[in-house]
Amino acid sequence: MRIKVWGARGSVPSPGPEMNRYGGNTSCVELTLDSGEHVILDAGTGIRTLGLDLTGSIKVNILLTHLHLDHIQGLMFFPPCFRADADIMIWGPASPEASLEDRVARYISAPLSPVEVRELPCSVSFQDTPPSEWQLGSATIRCEAVNHRGPTLGFRVTEGDTTLCYIPDHEPALGTALAETEPEWISGYELARDADLLIHDCQYADDEYPLHVGWGHSGMSDALTFGSRVGARSMLLFHHDPLHADGFLDELHATARRRWSELGGDPAMIAMGMESEELEIGATAAPAGFATTA
Amino acid sequence: MAAQKPLELILARNLLTSISTPAFLVDQHADLVFYNEAAGALLGRSFEDVGRMSPEEWTSTYGPFDANGKPVELDELPTTRAVRDGRPAHAVFTIRSANGSNRAIESSAFPIVASDEGSSGAMIFFWPRDDESGEDS
Repeated sequence: MRIKVWGARGSVPSPGPEMNRYGGNTSCVELTLDSGEHVILDAGTGIRTLGLDLTGSIKVNILLTHLHLDHIQGLMFFPPCFRADADIMIWGPASPEASLEDRVARYISAPLSPVEVRELPCSVSFQDTPPSEWQLGSATIRCEAVNHRGPTLGFRVTEGDTTLCYIPDHEPALGTALAETEPEWISGYELARDADLLIHDCQYADDEYPLHVGWGHSGMSDALTFGSRVGARSMLLFHHDPLHADGFLDELHATARRRWSELGGDPAMIAMGMESEELEIGATAAPAGFATTA
Repeated sequence: MAAQKPLELILARNLLTSISTPAFLVDQHADLVFYNEAAGALLGRSFEDVGRMSPEEWTSTYGPFDANGKPVELDELPTTRAVRDGRPAHAVFTIRSANGSNRAIESSAFPIVASDEGSSGAMIFFWPRDDESGEDS
């Protein structure tokens, strides 16, 4: 399978010349399966440019980890939403309070939006994610609730013998010492176990995290410890804080590689989420593209 | 490796780890899957020493007993009622610690419900009644 990062930023879009290399768009990853289907992970502002790139007959599945604005803001600007020939299925976490469509419609409705969901010319449907795994094209999808603020999912996508795990908003170390905690008690453990590529929250540098405990995001060392505990073969650190400019993220990357090496891993297997980057994920080699992000 | 716990139990355990009120955590079968250090001090043994226990195992180890010294029926325990009925439950009874001494305690059990599928387990908090040793109860 192949992925393309369309937005790796967390919290809020953060454009600006100092953000050019890593990008300022919020969470959105395009997954192209070997069978050709497109699966889109989250609909942050990065999905707008992704939509501009789609041509021909459009049939896409969008998997939403949760409904915080930085994961759905791009939906209203996703060009296929305004094409009558587009078929869009949106999957997201269930809630006892309201349907997924009604919760998304709180954003795509007045006064926040000039259009309503029912006015979109595309064919759009909403589906609560099932509690068990399901098939999308040639991929098997599984989701689990993970530790973040509000109902939030992580996704595990398996195609053939290749597995991608996507947990962009996650604080597994909240209230526990990850290095010592038994696996059964670690949020997201089974979801991420032995993933070929783990895309994971790394919003904060270690010295920033103490001021943000309980906000639902990870410091760098916690993210790497989680990756090490689950046996991830490679990691893409993701959901960059909007204050982190390119130079800061370069330094964070270098520190993360040293830390991963201290945990017994190959430092070349740690990369930073970077807008427009494409990676080929296979079960037998490092994701193509990792070497260029050093 | 044991099966992954549901997130709500993971978060409950993290909470219990962080507080000084003695507390148990049970799963949807009422199996004891964790108790905190404060509960360990009350019972005389840490959870790491005893590990996971079925309701039959932990009641035979720690009680509880009613005011007449008889074991409280499993069905009547706040824990069982919370898991079975999805309702909070409260009781006063006596427990026996690892060194054989008895303690009178109050216990409140709160069901943990995260989905329409019912209870994932319960948190049970204990408050020792320092005015009663429990020796005679």
